[in-house]
Amino acid sequence: MRELDNSAYDGGAYGDGERDLGGVDLGRVWTGVAAEVWRRRPGPAERIAARLLRSPGLARALLTTPSLLLPWLLSTLVVFGVGGLVSLADDRPLVWLLAPGVAAIGIACAYGPGVDPAWEVSCSVPISHRIVLLVRAVAVFAVNAFLGLAVSALTYALNVHGARPVGAEAVAITVAWLLPMTAVCALSLAVAIAARSAVAGAFAGVFAWTAVVVASMSASGQFTAAITDTSTYLPYLAVAACATVAIGFATRSQRGAQ
Amino acid sequence: MNIELTNVTRSFGRNRAVDGVSLEVGAGVLGVLGPNGAGKTSLLRMLATVLPPSSGEIRLLGRDPKNTAQRREIRRRLGYLPQNLGYYPAFTVVEFVEYFALLKEVPSGRVHKAVAEAVERVDLGGRAKARLRTLSGGMLRRVGIAQAIVNNPDLLLLDEPTAGLDPEQRVGFRALLRDLGRTATVVVSTHLVEDVGAACSEVALMDAGRIVFRGLPAELVARGEGHGVGDAPLERGYSAVLQAARKGGVAA
Repeated sequence: MRELDNSAYDGGAYGDGERDLGGVDLGRVWTGVAAEVWRRRPGPAERIAARLLRSPGLARALLTTPSLLLPWLLSTLVVFGVGGLVSLADDRPLVWLLAPGVAAIGIACAYGPGVDPAWEVSCSVPISHRIVLLVRAVAVFAVNAFLGLAVSALTYALNVHGARPVGAEAVAITVAWLLPMTAVCALSLAVAIAARSAVAGAFAGVFAWTAVVVASMSASGQFTAAITDTSTYLPYLAVAACATVAIGFATRSQRGAQ
Repeated sequence: MNIELTNVTRSFGRNRAVDGVSLEVGAGVLGVLGPNGAGKTSLLRMLATVLPPSSGEIRLLGRDPKNTAQRREIRRRLGYLPQNLGYYPAFTVVEFVEYFALLKEVPSGRVHKAVAEAVERVDLGGRAKARLRTLSGGMLRRVGIAQAIVNNPDLLLLDEPTAGLDPEQRVGFRALLRDLGRTATVVVSTHLVEDVGAACSEVALMDAGRIVFRGLPAELVARGEGHGVGDAPLERGYSAVLQAARKGGVAA
Protein backbone atom coordinates (compact mmCIF):
# COMPACT_ATOMS: atom_id res chain seq x y z
CA MET A 1 0.00 0.00 0.00
CA ARG A 2 1.08 3.54 -0.62
CA GLU A 3 1.94 5.75 2.30
CA LEU A 4 -0.65 8.35 3.17
CA ASP A 5 -0.07 12.03 3.68
CA ASN A 6 -2.37 13.35 6.35
CA SER A 7 -2.02 16.94 5.31
CA ALA A 8 -4.29 16.37 2.34
CA TYR A 9 -7.59 17.18 3.95
CA ASP A 10 -6.61 20.08 6.15
CA GLY A 11 -6.77 22.44 3.23
CA GLY A 12 -3.32 23.72 4.05
CA ALA A 13 -4.14 24.72 7.61
CA TYR A 14 -1.06 22.98 8.89
CA GLY A 15 2.03 23.15 6.74
CA ASP A 16 4.66 20.45 6.61
CA GLY A 17 7.05 22.74 8.45
CA GLU A 18 4.79 22.75 11.47
CA ARG A 19 4.29 19.00 11.45
CA ASP A 20 7.78 17.83 10.58
CA LEU A 21 9.92 18.73 13.55
CA GLY A 22 13.54 17.58 13.40
CA GLY A 23 12.75 14.84 10.91
CA VAL A 24 9.85 13.54 13.01
CA ASP A 25 6.58 13.49 11.09
CA LEU A 26 4.13 14.46 13.80
CA GLY A 27 1.17 13.63 11.59
CA ARG A 28 2.37 10.07 11.24
CA VAL A 29 3.10 9.80 14.96
CA TRP A 30 -0.37 11.10 15.77
CA THR A 31 -1.99 8.61 13.40
CA GLY A 32 -0.17 5.80 15.18
CA VAL A 33 -1.34 7.11 18.55
CA ALA A 34 -4.91 7.58 17.27
CA ALA A 35 -4.95 4.05 15.88
CA GLU A 36 -4.13 2.71 19.35
CA VAL A 37 -6.49 5.03 21.21
CA TRP A 38 -9.42 4.35 18.87
CA ARG A 39 -8.75 0.62 18.55
CA ARG A 40 -11.94 -1.35 19.09
CA ARG A 41 -11.56 -4.61 20.98
CA PRO A 42 -13.78 -7.28 19.40
CA GLY A 43 -16.01 -9.11 21.89
CA PRO A 44 -15.82 -12.84 22.49
CA ALA A 45 -18.64 -13.59 20.04
CA GLU A 46 -16.88 -11.70 17.26
CA ARG A 47 -13.56 -13.37 18.00
CA ILE A 48 -15.14 -16.83 17.91
CA ALA A 49 -17.06 -16.01 14.72
CA ALA A 50 -13.89 -14.66 13.09
CA ARG A 51 -12.04 -17.86 13.95
CA LEU A 52 -14.86 -20.12 12.75
CA LEU A 53 -15.50 -18.20 9.54
CA ARG A 54 -11.79 -17.44 9.04
CA SER A 55 -12.68 -13.87 8.15
CA PRO A 56 -12.90 -10.88 10.52
CA GLY A 57 -15.01 -9.05 7.92
CA LEU A 58 -17.53 -11.87 7.66
CA ALA A 59 -17.65 -12.10 11.46
CA ARG A 60 -18.42 -8.40 11.73
CA ALA A 61 -21.05 -8.71 8.98
CA LEU A 62 -22.62 -11.57 10.94
CA LEU A 63 -22.77 -9.56 14.14
CA THR A 64 -24.44 -6.63 12.40
CA THR A 65 -27.35 -8.84 11.30
CA PRO A 66 -30.46 -6.83 12.18
CA SER A 67 -32.41 -9.92 13.24
CA LEU A 68 -29.63 -11.01 15.60
CA LEU A 69 -29.42 -7.76 17.53
CA LEU A 70 -30.48 -7.78 21.17
CA PRO A 71 -33.85 -5.99 20.77
CA TRP A 72 -34.85 -8.44 18.05
CA LEU A 73 -33.76 -11.46 20.11
CA LEU A 74 -35.68 -10.20 23.13
CA SER A 75 -38.79 -9.70 20.97
CA THR A 76 -38.46 -13.23 19.63
CA LEU A 77 -38.11 -14.57 23.14
CA VAL A 78 -41.20 -12.67 24.27
CA VAL A 79 -43.24 -14.08 21.35
CA PHE A 80 -42.08 -17.62 22.08
CA GLY A 81 -42.63 -17.09 25.81
CA VAL A 82 -46.20 -15.88 25.33
CA GLY A 83 -46.79 -18.79 22.94
CA GLY A 84 -45.45 -21.15 25.59
CA LEU A 85 -47.72 -19.70 28.29
CA VAL A 86 -50.75 -19.98 26.01
CA SER A 87 -49.78 -23.56 25.26
CA LEU A 88 -49.64 -24.34 28.97
CA ALA A 89 -52.91 -22.56 29.69
CA ASP A 90 -55.17 -24.20 27.12
CA ASP A 91 -53.10 -27.21 26.20
CA ARG A 92 -52.67 -26.12 22.60
CA PRO A 93 -49.03 -26.18 21.41
CA LEU A 94 -49.03 -22.70 19.98
CA VAL A 95 -45.22 -22.46 20.03
CA TRP A 96 -44.99 -25.05 17.29
CA LEU A 97 -47.17 -22.97 15.03
CA LEU A 98 -45.51 -19.67 15.93
CA ALA A 99 -41.93 -20.75 15.37
CA PRO A 100 -41.94 -21.01 11.55
CA GLY A 101 -43.59 -17.58 11.15
CA VAL A 102 -41.25 -15.85 13.61
CA ALA A 103 -38.18 -17.40 11.99
CA ALA A 104 -39.40 -16.44 8.51
CA ILE A 105 -39.58 -12.77 9.51
CA GLY A 106 -36.12 -12.95 11.03
CA ILE A 107 -34.65 -14.56 7.92
CA ALA A 108 -36.27 -12.03 5.58
CA CYS A 109 -34.77 -9.22 7.63
CA ALA A 110 -31.29 -10.74 7.79
CA TYR A 111 -29.76 -9.14 4.72
CA GLY A 112 -30.62 -7.00 1.75
CA PRO A 113 -31.46 -3.51 0.54
CA GLY A 114 -33.58 -1.61 3.01
CA VAL A 115 -32.31 -3.84 5.80
CA ASP A 116 -28.60 -3.07 5.60
CA PRO A 117 -28.14 0.69 5.52
CA ALA A 118 -24.86 0.37 3.67
CA TRP A 119 -26.05 -2.35 1.28
CA GLU A 120 -24.84 -0.59 -1.86
CA VAL A 121 -21.25 -0.34 -0.62
CA SER A 122 -21.42 -3.90 0.70
CA CYS A 123 -22.00 -5.01 -2.90
CA SER A 124 -18.64 -3.55 -3.95
CA VAL A 125 -16.45 -5.29 -1.38
CA PRO A 126 -14.39 -8.44 -1.95
CA ILE A 127 -16.43 -10.55 0.47
CA SER A 128 -19.24 -12.06 -1.59
CA HIS A 129 -22.68 -10.89 -0.58
CA ARG A 130 -23.92 -14.40 -1.25
CA ILE A 131 -21.61 -15.64 1.52
CA VAL A 132 -22.79 -12.89 3.85
CA LEU A 133 -26.38 -13.84 3.08
CA LEU A 134 -25.70 -17.52 3.71
CA VAL A 135 -23.88 -16.96 6.98
CA ARG A 136 -26.56 -14.61 8.29
CA ALA A 137 -29.45 -16.84 7.20
CA VAL A 138 -27.91 -19.90 8.82
CA ALA A 139 -27.22 -17.99 12.02
CA VAL A 140 -30.75 -16.56 12.24
CA PHE A 141 -32.25 -19.97 11.52
CA ALA A 142 -30.07 -21.62 14.15
CA VAL A 143 -30.90 -19.05 16.81
CA ASN A 144 -34.64 -19.33 16.10
CA ALA A 145 -34.50 -23.09 16.04
CA PHE A 146 -32.66 -23.11 19.37
CA LEU A 147 -35.12 -20.71 21.02
CA GLY A 148 -38.09 -22.56 19.55
CA LEU A 149 -36.76 -25.93 20.66
CA ALA A 150 -36.00 -24.68 24.15
CA VAL A 151 -39.47 -23.19 24.65
CA SER A 152 -41.15 -26.14 22.95
CA ALA A 153 -39.35 -28.63 25.16
CA LEU A 154 -40.04 -26.56 28.26
CA THR A 155 -43.72 -26.23 27.40
CA TYR A 156 -43.95 -29.92 26.81
CA ALA A 157 -42.19 -30.74 30.07
CA LEU A 158 -44.39 -28.39 32.09
CA ASN A 159 -47.65 -29.51 30.49
CA VAL A 160 -49.35 -31.23 33.39
CA HIS A 161 -52.87 -31.08 31.98
CA GLY A 162 -52.72 -33.12 28.81
CA ALA A 163 -51.65 -36.72 28.33
CA ARG A 164 -47.96 -36.49 27.52
CA PRO A 165 -46.50 -38.96 25.08
CA VAL A 166 -43.04 -40.15 26.00
CA GLY A 167 -39.82 -41.19 24.31
CA ALA A 168 -39.49 -40.97 20.53
CA GLU A 169 -43.00 -39.59 20.13
CA ALA A 170 -42.26 -36.74 22.52
CA VAL A 171 -39.11 -35.85 20.59
CA ALA A 172 -40.98 -36.05 17.29
CA ILE A 173 -43.63 -33.64 18.52
CA THR A 174 -41.08 -31.25 19.99
CA VAL A 175 -39.12 -30.98 16.76
CA ALA A 176 -42.04 -31.43 14.36
CA TRP A 177 -42.09 -27.76 13.38
CA LEU A 178 -38.46 -27.69 12.24
CA LEU A 179 -39.20 -29.02 8.76
CA PRO A 180 -42.04 -26.57 8.00
CA MET A 181 -39.87 -23.83 9.53
CA THR A 182 -37.12 -24.65 7.03
CA ALA A 183 -39.56 -24.47 4.13
CA VAL A 184 -41.18 -21.23 5.28
CA CYS A 185 -37.80 -19.59 5.96
CA ALA A 186 -36.47 -20.58 2.53
CA LEU A 187 -39.61 -19.24 0.86
CA SER A 188 -39.43 -16.01 2.82
CA LEU A 189 -35.77 -15.48 1.93
CA ALA A 190 -36.35 -16.24 -1.75
CA VAL A 191 -39.18 -13.70 -1.96
CA ALA A 192 -37.16 -11.09 -0.01
CA ILE A 193 -34.27 -11.46 -2.44
CA ALA A 194 -36.37 -11.57 -5.60
CA ALA A 195 -38.48 -8.57 -4.57
CA ARG A 196 -35.50 -6.80 -2.92
CA SER A 197 -37.75 -6.15 0.04
CA ALA A 198 -37.56 -7.61 3.53
CA VAL A 199 -41.18 -6.67 4.12
CA ALA A 200 -42.31 -8.61 1.04
CA GLY A 201 -40.30 -11.63 2.19
CA ALA A 202 -41.65 -11.53 5.72
CA PHE A 203 -45.20 -11.07 4.46
CA ALA A 204 -44.86 -13.96 1.99
CA GLY A 205 -43.50 -16.29 4.68
CA VAL A 206 -46.10 -15.46 7.29
CA PHE A 207 -48.96 -15.46 4.78
CA ALA A 208 -47.95 -18.83 3.30
CA TRP A 209 -47.56 -20.40 6.72
CA THR A 210 -50.89 -19.04 7.98
CA ALA A 211 -52.59 -20.37 4.86
CA VAL A 212 -51.06 -23.83 5.39
CA VAL A 213 -52.04 -23.92 9.06
CA VAL A 214 -55.63 -22.83 8.38
CA ALA A 215 -56.02 -25.17 5.38
CA SER A 216 -54.62 -28.16 7.28
CA MET A 217 -56.80 -27.40 10.25
CA SER A 218 -59.99 -27.18 8.25
CA ALA A 219 -59.14 -30.30 6.25
CA SER A 220 -58.34 -32.50 9.24
CA GLY A 221 -60.05 -30.77 12.12
CA GLN A 222 -56.81 -30.89 14.08
CA PHE A 223 -55.20 -27.70 15.42
CA THR A 224 -51.64 -28.85 14.74
CA ALA A 225 -52.21 -30.77 11.50
CA ALA A 226 -49.77 -28.55 9.56
CA ILE A 227 -47.00 -29.91 11.76
CA THR A 228 -48.05 -33.37 12.80
CA ASP A 229 -49.47 -34.65 9.50
CA THR A 230 -46.58 -36.59 7.98
CA SER A 231 -48.07 -36.34 4.48
CA THR A 232 -47.11 -32.64 4.47
CA TYR A 233 -43.41 -33.33 4.98
CA LEU A 234 -42.61 -34.04 1.34
CA PRO A 235 -44.24 -30.83 0.08
CA TYR A 236 -42.28 -28.89 2.74
CA LEU A 237 -39.05 -30.41 1.47
CA ALA A 238 -40.00 -29.59 -2.12
CA VAL A 239 -40.76 -25.96 -1.24
CA ALA A 240 -37.46 -25.65 0.65
CA ALA A 241 -35.53 -27.12 -2.30
CA CYS A 242 -37.23 -24.90 -4.90
CA ALA A 243 -36.72 -21.79 -2.80
CA THR A 244 -33.05 -22.65 -2.31
CA VAL A 245 -32.58 -22.94 -6.08
CA ALA A 246 -34.37 -19.60 -6.55
CA ILE A 247 -32.08 -17.97 -3.96
CA GLY A 248 -29.02 -19.34 -5.72
CA PHE A 249 -30.28 -18.00 -9.05
CA ALA A 250 -31.19 -14.58 -7.67
CA THR A 251 -27.83 -14.09 -5.96
CA ARG A 252 -25.63 -15.21 -8.83
CA SER A 253 -22.76 -12.81 -9.32
CA GLN A 254 -23.55 -11.43 -12.74
CA ARG A 255 -26.94 -10.22 -11.67
CA GLY A 256 -25.33 -7.54 -9.55
CA ALA A 257 -27.16 -5.50 -6.97
CA GLN A 258 -29.90 -4.41 -9.28
CA MET B 1 -5.18 2.25 -17.97
CA ASN B 2 -7.17 1.63 -14.81
CA ILE B 3 -10.55 1.93 -16.53
CA GLU B 4 -11.27 0.56 -20.01
CA LEU B 5 -14.85 0.62 -21.24
CA THR B 6 -15.78 -0.56 -24.71
CA ASN B 7 -19.23 0.26 -26.01
CA VAL B 8 -20.86 -0.29 -22.62
CA THR B 9 -24.61 -0.06 -22.29
CA ARG B 10 -26.94 -0.54 -19.38
CA SER B 11 -30.70 -0.71 -19.73
CA PHE B 12 -33.48 -0.79 -17.16
CA GLY B 13 -36.47 -2.13 -19.02
CA ARG B 14 -36.88 0.10 -22.06
CA ASN B 15 -34.81 2.90 -20.56
CA ARG B 16 -31.18 2.90 -21.71
CA ALA B 17 -29.35 4.61 -18.83
CA VAL B 18 -25.88 4.19 -20.34
CA ASP B 19 -25.70 4.08 -24.10
CA GLY B 20 -22.55 2.83 -25.81
CA VAL B 21 -19.93 4.45 -23.61
CA SER B 22 -16.28 3.85 -24.46
CA LEU B 23 -13.72 5.30 -22.11
CA GLU B 24 -10.11 4.87 -21.07
CA VAL B 25 -8.93 6.48 -17.86
CA GLY B 26 -5.54 6.40 -16.15
CA ALA B 27 -4.32 8.02 -12.95
CA GLY B 28 -5.83 11.42 -12.19
CA VAL B 29 -9.18 12.88 -11.28
CA LEU B 30 -11.95 12.58 -13.85
CA GLY B 31 -15.00 14.69 -13.14
CA VAL B 32 -18.24 13.37 -14.63
CA LEU B 33 -20.77 16.11 -15.18
CA GLY B 34 -24.26 15.93 -16.52
CA PRO B 35 -27.89 16.73 -15.88
CA ASN B 36 -30.14 14.50 -13.75
CA GLY B 37 -30.80 11.18 -15.45
CA ALA B 38 -27.78 11.49 -17.73
CA GLY B 39 -26.48 8.08 -16.61
CA LYS B 40 -23.70 9.18 -14.26
CA THR B 41 -24.80 7.05 -11.33
CA SER B 42 -25.39 3.97 -13.48
CA LEU B 43 -21.92 4.41 -14.98
CA LEU B 44 -20.35 4.68 -11.54
CA ARG B 45 -22.26 1.64 -10.28
CA MET B 46 -20.94 -0.39 -13.19
CA LEU B 47 -17.42 0.81 -12.45
CA ALA B 48 -17.98 -0.19 -8.81
CA THR B 49 -18.88 -3.74 -10.00
CA VAL B 50 -22.25 -3.33 -8.29
CA LEU B 51 -24.16 -3.31 -11.56
CA PRO B 52 -23.21 -5.51 -14.51
CA PRO B 53 -23.47 -3.94 -17.99
CA SER B 54 -26.23 -5.04 -20.35
CA SER B 55 -23.63 -5.21 -23.12
CA GLY B 56 -20.09 -4.11 -23.85
CA GLU B 57 -16.79 -4.82 -22.15
CA ILE B 58 -15.40 -3.44 -18.90
CA ARG B 59 -11.86 -3.85 -17.64
CA LEU B 60 -10.87 -2.33 -14.32
CA LEU B 61 -7.32 -2.18 -13.01
CA GLY B 62 -6.39 -4.47 -15.89
CA ARG B 63 -8.83 -7.13 -14.78
CA ASP B 64 -12.16 -8.49 -15.96
CA PRO B 65 -14.96 -7.97 -13.41
CA LYS B 66 -16.96 -10.83 -14.95
CA ASN B 67 -14.38 -13.26 -13.59
CA THR B 68 -15.07 -14.00 -9.90
CA ALA B 69 -11.44 -14.10 -8.78
CA GLN B 70 -10.51 -11.00 -10.76
CA ARG B 71 -13.58 -9.14 -9.53
CA ARG B 72 -12.52 -9.87 -5.97
CA GLU B 73 -9.06 -8.51 -6.71
CA ILE B 74 -10.60 -5.36 -8.23
CA ARG B 75 -12.82 -4.87 -5.19
CA ARG B 76 -9.87 -5.06 -2.82
CA ARG B 77 -8.38 -2.05 -4.60
CA LEU B 78 -11.65 -0.18 -5.07
CA GLY B 79 -13.19 2.63 -3.06
CA TYR B 80 -16.82 3.55 -3.64
CA LEU B 81 -19.03 6.24 -2.22
CA PRO B 82 -22.59 5.86 -3.55
CA GLN B 83 -24.97 8.74 -3.93
CA ASN B 84 -27.09 7.56 -1.01
CA LEU B 85 -24.92 5.83 1.53
CA GLY B 86 -26.80 4.44 4.52
CA TYR B 87 -25.31 4.44 8.00
CA TYR B 88 -25.64 2.26 11.07
CA PRO B 89 -26.80 4.89 13.58
CA ALA B 90 -25.39 3.08 16.62
CA PHE B 91 -21.91 2.71 15.12
CA THR B 92 -19.18 5.18 15.96
CA VAL B 93 -17.19 6.80 13.15
CA VAL B 94 -14.29 4.44 13.79
CA GLU B 95 -16.52 1.36 13.97
CA PHE B 96 -18.18 2.22 10.67
CA VAL B 97 -14.92 2.83 8.83
CA GLU B 98 -13.37 -0.26 10.41
CA TYR B 99 -16.35 -2.35 9.32
CA PHE B 100 -15.61 -1.53 5.69
CA ALA B 101 -11.88 -1.97 6.18
CA LEU B 102 -12.64 -5.52 7.30
CA LEU B 103 -15.10 -6.14 4.46
CA LYS B 104 -12.46 -4.87 2.02
CA GLU B 105 -10.02 -7.39 3.49
CA VAL B 106 -7.45 -4.84 4.62
CA PRO B 107 -4.75 -6.98 6.31
CA SER B 108 -5.57 -7.43 10.02
CA GLY B 109 -2.32 -5.87 11.18
CA ARG B 110 -3.02 -2.70 9.20
CA VAL B 111 -6.70 -2.19 9.90
CA HIS B 112 -6.42 0.14 12.91
CA LYS B 113 -3.78 2.35 11.32
CA ALA B 114 -5.71 2.47 8.02
CA VAL B 115 -8.87 3.48 9.87
CA ALA B 116 -7.07 6.19 11.82
CA GLU B 117 -5.48 7.53 8.64
CA ALA B 118 -8.80 7.61 6.78
CA VAL B 119 -10.61 9.30 9.67
CA GLU B 120 -7.84 11.88 10.01
CA ARG B 121 -7.79 12.55 6.28
CA VAL B 122 -11.42 13.59 6.31
CA ASP B 123 -10.78 15.70 9.38
CA LEU B 124 -13.04 13.71 11.70
CA GLY B 125 -10.40 12.87 14.31
CA GLY B 126 -12.22 14.98 16.87
CA ARG B 127 -15.43 12.95 16.38
CA ALA B 128 -13.85 9.53 15.97
CA LYS B 129 -15.76 8.02 18.87
CA ALA B 130 -19.04 9.83 18.15
CA ARG B 131 -22.09 7.76 17.21
CA LEU B 132 -23.19 8.30 13.63
CA ARG B 133 -26.69 9.32 14.73
CA THR B 134 -25.16 12.39 16.41
CA LEU B 135 -23.36 13.68 13.29
CA SER B 136 -24.49 16.33 10.82
CA GLY B 137 -25.15 15.54 7.14
CA GLY B 138 -21.79 16.96 6.10
CA MET B 139 -19.95 14.91 8.70
CA LEU B 140 -21.76 11.77 7.60
CA ARG B 141 -20.68 12.45 4.04
CA ARG B 142 -17.10 12.67 5.26
CA VAL B 143 -17.53 9.35 7.08
CA GLY B 144 -18.65 7.95 3.72
CA ILE B 145 -15.53 9.32 2.06
CA ALA B 146 -13.41 7.81 4.86
CA GLN B 147 -14.83 4.33 4.25
CA ALA B 148 -14.16 4.76 0.53
CA ILE B 149 -10.47 5.56 1.03
CA VAL B 150 -9.75 3.28 3.99
CA ASN B 151 -8.16 0.62 1.78
CA ASN B 152 -6.05 3.26 0.00
CA PRO B 153 -7.74 2.39 -3.31
CA ASP B 154 -6.20 2.50 -6.76
CA LEU B 155 -9.65 3.17 -8.18
CA LEU B 156 -11.87 5.56 -6.27
CA LEU B 157 -15.45 6.25 -7.33
CA LEU B 158 -17.33 9.08 -5.69
CA ASP B 159 -20.95 9.86 -6.49
CA GLU B 160 -21.85 13.42 -5.47
CA PRO B 161 -19.20 13.46 -2.72
CA THR B 162 -19.57 17.15 -1.89
CA ALA B 163 -23.32 17.03 -1.29
CA GLY B 164 -23.89 18.35 2.22
CA LEU B 165 -20.36 19.72 2.69
CA ASP B 166 -20.00 23.37 3.61
CA PRO B 167 -17.73 25.61 1.46
CA GLU B 168 -14.72 25.19 3.76
CA GLN B 169 -15.09 21.42 3.79
CA ARG B 170 -15.40 21.41 0.01
CA VAL B 171 -12.13 23.27 -0.32
CA GLY B 172 -10.47 20.68 1.91
CA PHE B 173 -12.10 17.85 0.01
CA ARG B 174 -10.84 19.15 -3.33
CA ALA B 175 -7.30 19.16 -1.89
CA LEU B 176 -7.81 15.54 -0.86
CA LEU B 177 -9.05 14.67 -4.35
CA ARG B 178 -6.00 16.24 -6.00
CA ASP B 179 -3.75 14.33 -3.61
CA LEU B 180 -5.50 11.01 -4.27
CA GLY B 181 -5.41 11.60 -8.03
CA ARG B 182 -1.63 11.78 -8.05
CA THR B 183 -1.40 7.99 -7.94
CA ALA B 184 -4.92 6.61 -8.21
CA THR B 185 -7.74 6.90 -10.69
CA VAL B 186 -10.50 8.98 -9.14
CA VAL B 187 -13.87 9.33 -10.84
CA VAL B 188 -16.14 11.96 -9.34
CA SER B 189 -19.73 12.37 -10.40
CA THR B 190 -21.01 15.81 -9.50
CA HIS B 191 -23.46 18.55 -10.33
CA LEU B 192 -21.07 21.22 -9.14
CA VAL B 193 -18.95 22.51 -11.99
CA GLU B 194 -16.74 24.46 -9.57
CA ASP B 195 -15.63 21.14 -8.02
CA VAL B 196 -14.55 20.01 -11.48
CA GLY B 197 -12.66 23.21 -12.15
CA ALA B 198 -10.83 23.09 -8.83
CA ALA B 199 -10.05 19.41 -8.44
CA CYS B 200 -10.30 17.50 -11.70
CA SER B 201 -7.54 16.97 -14.22
CA GLU B 202 -10.12 15.88 -16.82
CA VAL B 203 -13.82 16.22 -17.34
CA ALA B 204 -16.42 14.08 -19.08
CA LEU B 205 -19.90 15.37 -19.75
CA MET B 206 -22.77 12.92 -20.03
CA ASP B 207 -26.17 13.43 -21.54
CA ALA B 208 -28.86 10.83 -22.27
CA GLY B 209 -26.50 7.98 -21.39
CA ARG B 210 -23.71 9.10 -23.72
CA ILE B 211 -20.46 10.93 -23.19
CA VAL B 212 -20.83 14.09 -25.23
CA PHE B 213 -17.57 15.74 -24.21
CA ARG B 214 -14.26 14.65 -22.79
CA GLY B 215 -11.26 16.86 -22.26
CA LEU B 216 -9.47 19.23 -19.94
CA PRO B 217 -11.50 21.67 -17.86
CA ALA B 218 -9.83 24.45 -19.87
CA GLU B 219 -11.15 22.88 -23.10
CA LEU B 220 -14.66 22.85 -21.66
CA VAL B 221 -14.23 26.50 -20.76
CA ALA B 222 -13.14 27.20 -24.34
CA ARG B 223 -16.32 25.57 -25.67
CA GLY B 224 -18.32 28.10 -23.73
CA GLU B 225 -16.68 31.22 -25.09
CA GLY B 226 -19.30 33.46 -26.59
CA HIS B 227 -22.07 31.35 -25.12
CA GLY B 228 -24.58 33.30 -23.10
CA VAL B 229 -25.94 30.73 -20.66
CA GLY B 230 -24.20 30.27 -17.28
CA ASP B 231 -22.56 32.48 -14.69
CA ALA B 232 -19.08 30.97 -14.70
CA PRO B 233 -16.82 30.03 -17.66
CA LEU B 234 -17.17 26.29 -16.92
CA GLU B 235 -20.94 26.58 -16.68
CA ARG B 236 -21.01 28.30 -20.06
CA GLY B 237 -18.93 25.48 -21.52
CA TYR B 238 -21.23 22.91 -19.92
CA SER B 239 -24.31 24.58 -21.39
CA ALA B 240 -22.75 25.04 -24.81
CA VAL B 241 -21.72 21.38 -25.08
CA LEU B 242 -25.11 20.13 -23.91
CA GLN B 243 -26.90 22.41 -26.33
CA ALA B 244 -24.71 21.26 -29.22
CA ALA B 245 -25.21 17.60 -28.30
CA ARG B 246 -28.97 17.97 -28.13
CA LYS B 247 -29.09 19.71 -31.46
CA GLY B 248 -27.94 16.53 -33.06
CA GLY B 249 -24.19 16.11 -32.93
CA VAL B 250 -22.07 14.72 -30.12
CA ALA B 251 -19.67 17.51 -29.35
CA ALA B 252 -16.75 15.39 -28.19
